[in-house]
Amino acid sequence: MDVFGSFALLLAFVCAVYAFAGGIAAILTRHPLLVKSTRQAGIATCCLVFLGTFSLEYLFFSDNFANAYVVSHSNRDLSTFYKIAALWSGQEGSLLFWSFILAIYVFSVLIAYRNKNGELMPYVGVVMAGVQIFFLTLNNFVVSPFKALAIPGANGTMQLVARGDGNGLTPLLQYPEMVIHPPNLYSGYTGFTIPFAFALGALLARYPGEKWIHLTRKWTMIAWTFQTMGILLGAHWAYAVLGWGGYWGWDPVENASLLPWLTGTAFLHSVMMQEKRGMMKVWNVWLVFCTFLLCILGTLLTRSGVVSSVHAFAQSSIGNWFVGFIVIILLVCFGAYVKNRDYLKSENQLDAIVSRESSFLFNNLVLLVACIAVLSGTLFPVFSEWFTGDRISVGAPFFNKVNIPLGLLLLFLTGVGPLLAWRKTSTESLKRNFGWPLAIGVLGGAITFALGFRQFYSLVCLILCVFVASTITMEFYRGAKVIRTRSGASLAASAIDLTMRNTRRYGGYIVHMGMVLIFIGLAGAAFNRDVQKEMQLGSTMQIGPYTLLLQSVDTRPEKNYTAERMIVEVMKNNKPMMMLYPEKRRFATTVENGTMVAIYSTLKEDLYVVYAGQSPDTQLPVIHAYLNPLVKWIWFGGVVVVFGTLVALLPNRRAVLVLSGAQQPVGQQLQHGLTPSPSVTMREGHD
Amino acid sequence: MTKVRRWSGVAMLFAMAAAPLLIIPAEGQQLTDRAKQIGGKFMCMCGCSQVLTQCNHVGCTTSAGMLKELDQAVTRGDSETAVTQMFVQEFGTKVYAEPPKSGVSLIAWSLPSIYLALGTILVVFVISRWRKPPAARTAPTGNTPGVSAELLERARAQAARETED
Repeated sequence: MDVFGSFALLLAFVCAVYAFAGGIAAILTRHPLLVKSTRQAGIATCCLVFLGTFSLEYLFFSDNFANAYVVSHSNRDLSTFYKIAALWSGQEGSLLFWSFILAIYVFSVLIAYRNKNGELMPYVGVVMAGVQIFFLTLNNFVVSPFKALAIPGANGTMQLVARGDGNGLTPLLQYPEMVIHPPNLYSGYTGFTIPFAFALGALLARYPGEKWIHLTRKWTMIAWTFQTMGILLGAHWAYAVLGWGGYWGWDPVENASLLPWLTGTAFLHSVMMQEKRGMMKVWNVWLVFCTFLLCILGTLLTRSGVVSSVHAFAQSSIGNWFVGFIVIILLVCFGAYVKNRDYLKSENQLDAIVSRESSFLFNNLVLLVACIAVLSGTLFPVFSEWFTGDRISVGAPFFNKVNIPLGLLLLFLTGVGPLLAWRKTSTESLKRNFGWPLAIGVLGGAITFALGFRQFYSLVCLILCVFVASTITMEFYRGAKVIRTRSGASLAASAIDLTMRNTRRYGGYIVHMGMVLIFIGLAGAAFNRDVQKEMQLGSTMQIGPYTLLLQSVDTRPEKNYTAERMIVEVMKNNKPMMMLYPEKRRFATTVENGTMVAIYSTLKEDLYVVYAGQSPDTQLPVIHAYLNPLVKWIWFGGVVVVFGTLVALLPNRRAVLVLSGAQQPVGQQLQHGLTPSPSVTMREGHD
Repeated sequence: MTKVRRWSGVAMLFAMAAAPLLIIPAEGQQLTDRAKQIGGKFMCMCGCSQVLTQCNHVGCTTSAGMLKELDQAVTRGDSETAVTQMFVQEFGTKVYAEPPKSGVSLIAWSLPSIYLALGTILVVFVISRWRKPPAARTAPTGNTPGVSAELLERARAQAARETED
């Protein structure tokens, strides 16, 4: 299987080179057979990458400890579930996994558009093949996961060997979310290749502006959804496994995942300007280019050791390859832009400052500033070392100070933007749309302030959350009321009907509502509390209204590890409530320990209990308890965001004409001396 | 029925306004001592990439030592600057959790504001450039002679598109 997988990847590389070079020849000659053969080469590349990936996974499942990568990341007792995750737990496998996800996207695009957009697709195919060539070069020649284990023999030659067992998977990765978090994040990163390929392809082909935007939008939304899920699942994993009581630490690798998300979000908003008004064409093209470049930059940061991170892969020279790739992409993008920029001229002008267009411009501004601020903060230690010789760290306090005001500004625009009309918003319309939401927001703020809620940013955040939630609710209410008046259906049914008639708009509102819930959760972080205590059996510790009683300690041997478990009784106001079981897992194959946090989660707060280990002085177990308000809102908000995006991806339910007169026999109508002129009624149907 | 609806509407609005009540923590923010506040500005140097006061590694000798030094300095009544100097001398500039607001590090702090200011100027400039001159805003009516049927149809299609949502 080692050889099979290796050969499949090599063939995939050859096919990708043909798809790229043949694609350029096809564009130049416009020979239909060449176009077809390069498309098929693209499909073959994907199929061969699938084979290569499955063969590596097979090596994991068959405990093939003659393969160096399997030895480093698996062992016999590792459960099947985690043998799947072992594929992407190291540098080599994760890059193959990247190629695998990319191949799924490329395959889908090539199949979906095989008979469509004949002018554009050869260009798109060439760009996608170019990206595939880069990653397949890494898979084949730089960090191959199919290296056999070998040791120097007596005569100095290398001899192939097989180990009895492997080193096992890093304990931090042996958690259910690590099986779904990386695939989501990778699907986000790689997914942005498709909008990039369409944007660059359209620019190279001088393809009419609106068309590529229409084709790209859903691919961008798919990538954005995966990126969102990946970020949130990563945050939840950090919360539940790392045991530090938080979910976001502004670690460089976390930041790397946020950067393309921010520019992707900006693009999803500004793309509407191009669709509706034919404006911001240059901006949109560059937003897509930047988003893709940030995906590659993020990969560079994660894998090169340029910045230190707890999440990063081992330091390697692979960064040079990524730098080279970024430079090539920049040159190609810039060249294509300079050559064809005349095709990106705006078709319309702005009618008024107070308009949806302006709000999108400001939305993009804030998102971009946040992106650049996070990027410059992440890279500042590197630059400070270059220029001064001293590496100055930039940690969470800096990012919080910089990004919280920007986040609040964005939240405000989330409420304002959708209620402004395209072209121009009248004063009357402003009063009608914003009067009540503003009043409710201010009232909410006054109530919370009166109750002693004084933390400035959290207070502002909650006021804005109430304001934005009100604007969204009112939008649904107004629309649903109109439908209810016509159809007589209930308000809820009318709201669903309304959403299905314009899934993009109302799906977008649902996404915004999800963001509001996430912001509510983030506002709670200002009130986090924690207590740490060495505990004897029978002793208690107090945090907020909760009393924790350490009842006993047990040891549970499992297949791949031994769990040392604290049995903690939780009492609230001295009444027994529940039991929590924080534990440490000691793995046989590694010196690292795993932490399993016990969390009692409610909408109001999370009681988060960590068994932090034994005190080196007293040998007593140390329990670290946190009381984190509102954290559950973040996860719930994430679910709402994903749901809203899925709704926005659905096709609109369209009004179709139905001839109601057809219900009455024509002969009967003629008998009454009526001409068969059927009345027209509207019925809903999907397009 | 209308009154019922009106009142239910008002009740809904009040419910929304009162929503934060549900999510306010029962107790206020716990007061942090000075050491904890100052300690929040340094990283733990054990390599965990966590802020000093948040390092949760039991038995972490680095954070324990640093916190002890911090406690002693605060007890002595040392200023924040003195504590910072002490840690920087011991561990170098890597100890900062946030860059100091002086020297080269000032760039890190000022950049986001500069981006925002420049971006705002740019957006305002773009808006002013994109705005139609007053003469262009008085569009001719649909029946104006000289407007072809094709042009009219295109305009209608565009209008339909733009008013879609």
